[in-house]
Amino acid sequence: MHPADELTDDALVAAASAGDEEAFEKLFERHRRQVARIAGRFFAQREQVEEIIQDAFTKVYFALHTYHGTHEASFRAWLAQITVNACYDHLRRARRRPEHELTEFTDNESQDISTQLRAAQSDIEGALVSRDLALKLLARLSPEDRLVLTWLDVEGFSVAEISEMTAWSISKVKVRAHRARAHLRRILRKFL
Amino acid sequence: MLRNTHENESIDRLGQLVLRSAAEDETASQAAADAPFLYTRVRARIAEEQRVRNENGNWFSLLLIARRAIPAMALIALLAATVMFWSSRSTANPGWYRLDDEALSDTRNPGIEQTVLSRNNLTGDDIFNIVLEHNERRNDK
Repeated sequence: MHPADELTDDALVAAASAGDEEAFEKLFERHRRQVARIAGRFFAQREQVEEIIQDAFTKVYFALHTYHGTHEASFRAWLAQITVNACYDHLRRARRRPEHELTEFTDNESQDISTQLRAAQSDIEGALVSRDLALKLLARLSPEDRLVLTWLDVEGFSVAEISEMTAWSISKVKVRAHRARAHLRRILRKFL
Repeated sequence: MLRNTHENESIDRLGQLVLRSAAEDETASQAAADAPFLYTRVRARIAEEQRVRNENGNWFSLLLIARRAIPAMALIALLAATVMFWSSRSTANPGWYRLDDEALSDTRNPGIEQTVLSRNNLTGDDIFNIVLEHNERRNDK
């Protein structure tokens, strides 16, 4: 076993900060799947996820000196925060680009989503919504709304944790979540 | 009111289902994590970012140096202005207004007079005598 394999994340960060390229590569190997999983919550395309992985680790590299781990899971939480911010930046940029404007649902897609949502409404336990349609529906939310709802309802983060990760106040997180839920309701109602 | 609350809860559950469905499939994300040469691309991105930062840093340091040089440049400009002012003042009194005897015998500024005198083999005293004779002749008339 290579000595770098036995080191903790904090020790690897310290070594990487001091210019040890191997330590940074080890951090990358250890955590790339976690970063990919988080990116996959926001983006469906593999290329987009790869882009986020590159972006997140580049940001990590230049921010290593700002990391001050206080407990064992610190690095994972710190990395998650950087990754989410990278996703958030990409979502915002995508919304600004005209070529990425929201595509309208085709008649078939509207029919599909109505059928799937109605079926889900009657049997929520066994329900399934196709991922493509779900992503298209969520593309109608702002990046902030989507971020908050994904964290609350999929990742299971608390309001306090989201507040810490986004540097928003607790009340801002609550207000944003309330508005995001109301917005998602309005979107779904159109198909029911 | 109760009906609305119930309806909202039902739609919220649907919303959660949509959110989970969007996040559920990890095929794309895992394929991305296992992409070949991903670390090489990360290193290339870091190198590019480093280059951009260095360039920006160079511009920034140039600006800093320029900022520090401003007082020195101002001092040099002030000195140059002072020298120009004094030199213009010292040349502001041309010799042509001194049309008296002292001007003829003045040796402070040899210039053209000395050249003319040396070409005609005349001394300052010769010129002085010529002027005196000229004045006497004019008075006699």
